[in-house]
Amino acid sequence: MNWKGNANCLRLVLGAQVLFFAAWGGWLFASRNTDSPEFYLATEPVDPRDLFSGTYVALNYEISSPRGGNCPRRTRDLGRLFVKLEDKGKKAVTAAGEVPVYEAVDCHANPPQEPGWAKAEMIHRFGGPVATYGIERFYLNENDPRKDARSGSVLAKVKIDRNRSLVLLDLVEKF
Amino acid sequence: MASYYKKLKADLEASAGAGIITPEQAAAVYDRVYGARPFAAFRAAHWIGAAAGLFVALGVILIVASNWDKIDAATKMFAFLLLFAGVGEAAVRLDGKPAAAVPLEMVWFFMPILGIGLYAQLFNLSGDPVKPYLVWAALAAPAALLSRRPFSAYLCSALLFFTLYSGTLSSNSILALTAARLADAQPLWHWALALAVLAGGTAVFPGRKLSLPLGASVVWLFVMLLADTAIKIRSSALILLSGMSLAALWLTWGSEPEDDKAGLALKTWLGAVYLTTFFWHYKGDEYVNRSAADTAAGGAVAWLLFAGALLSVVFRPQRLLPAGARDELAGKVLLTASMLCSFLLFDANEATAKAVAITANLLLAAFGTVSIISGTRDSDEKQINLGVAVLTILAVTRFIDIFGSMLRSGMAFIVTGLAFGALAYFVNKGRKALIESVKK
Repeated sequence: MNWKGNANCLRLVLGAQVLFFAAWGGWLFASRNTDSPEFYLATEPVDPRDLFSGTYVALNYEISSPRGGNCPRRTRDLGRLFVKLEDKGKKAVTAAGEVPVYEAVDCHANPPQEPGWAKAEMIHRFGGPVATYGIERFYLNENDPRKDARSGSVLAKVKIDRNRSLVLLDLVEKF
Repeated sequence: MASYYKKLKADLEASAGAGIITPEQAAAVYDRVYGARPFAAFRAAHWIGAAAGLFVALGVILIVASNWDKIDAATKMFAFLLLFAGVGEAAVRLDGKPAAAVPLEMVWFFMPILGIGLYAQLFNLSGDPVKPYLVWAALAAPAALLSRRPFSAYLCSALLFFTLYSGTLSSNSILALTAARLADAQPLWHWALALAVLAGGTAVFPGRKLSLPLGASVVWLFVMLLADTAIKIRSSALILLSGMSLAALWLTWGSEPEDDKAGLALKTWLGAVYLTTFFWHYKGDEYVNRSAADTAAGGAVAWLLFAGALLSVVFRPQRLLPAGARDELAGKVLLTASMLCSFLLFDANEATAKAVAITANLLLAAFGTVSIISGTRDSDEKQINLGVAVLTILAVTRFIDIFGSMLRSGMAFIVTGLAFGALAYFVNKGRKALIESVKK
């Protein structure tokens, strides 16, 4: 059988490609709509651009260098880590009023089955090891004024999905 | 390459004119050879079609990237899936009409990265920068392989090699092979994935001409040996041994027997030998040895490469000089010597390094001379020019990069000049004798 240019084979490939994106999109939607509380994180944004996805705000977080509990010891090693995020009383004012800003209070390689633990990946950056959560980019319309947000002027609205991954929902300006 | 087909056509017409073959046979032979050249099936219209598809795909990517935040995520995703299916189906249906199929195939090839970019935008995804490219290549490869035109396959192969280079040289990706500062070595499965990507890039490359993917693989492996990876090597002897072995392997395996020239692989070997001539200035390994010693794995890879290259040189037809039994031995000796001279650098000192440099100079001089003689014998002007170019570059370099005292170098140049003059005399004499023998 000559596979080259075979219409049925090509349609099969096309179907698999479309199915992949449909399934992935569905999974991302489900993750975003997990029934878990939404909270805020303090950010330190900069503003580069991605050719395939457009303008985004690159976000560093205070929780990128977690310090509470066992964190100083746990964050020495690279790789998978879980960080406990909790409201320790820090507040910020947004258009929606005063909101709590969560902080990293503990770190663990195998955390207990309780809410509030977020999955992180310790990687090496120029300044040393940092925790990344997969929420380091917030995409915006190229004319959105938030792309010029100064460090500390915005909060990231997030939630933890059922896989303990943080999901970035919005970038909120502080007043 | 174009001149080869021009010359072939002229030779065939001359043969037909002399009554050796019929004009029909001459035309058939030319059509067959000309039809088998790379991109043979690509007429100008196809290239324009491919450019059209590329521009449309990039345009759509930029429009999506501008982020239409007034449209909700579900609508964007649905529109993307519809567009994806539509483009693919149109490409399949119009397969027999290249003017439409070529641009559509190009857009189809870019659809996965458009989707990945869109989803990243919609769900604010971030993380490993290599993963999107790997997913793109994995999704695009089956369609590229099934396509009757090679364009998508070329792009897919280039994408895989780009991902391989960028991923393995980073220290924070799924393909990372270079160690992050103060961190442990990268896990072994990164190597498995990198080798799979390498194999994929080579397998997807269309046609039987493996010189380019093999060259990209050879260069990648050499970079991995030099970088801070689990197979790093730091001693001059092993670096030279593996570099020369890789150049010999590329030269030996990178071209089909029917190819008239070894091309890029030959130039790489010449470049490697040329760089070796600068070992004259060697002052010890202190500059390369700063970032630790050779790894055991790196040493093993270097010796395996040498063994493979030696066996290949001995048992495969050499491609250093134009194919032919007369130059077979000379080609094999030059290739083997280029690898063996690195042995002088084990326990290297300034004297042995100078011996390496002199050997490299002699190798280039021998290559240039044999090329001129071989080119004269076969009436191959290009081969003569190559030989003259190698000898001239070598002489000019040595003039600037003076070997010994000015008096000694001056004498050496005069001797070289006289040798050139003698060579030119004998070459001309040989040419006249050849013409006379034809006349008789």
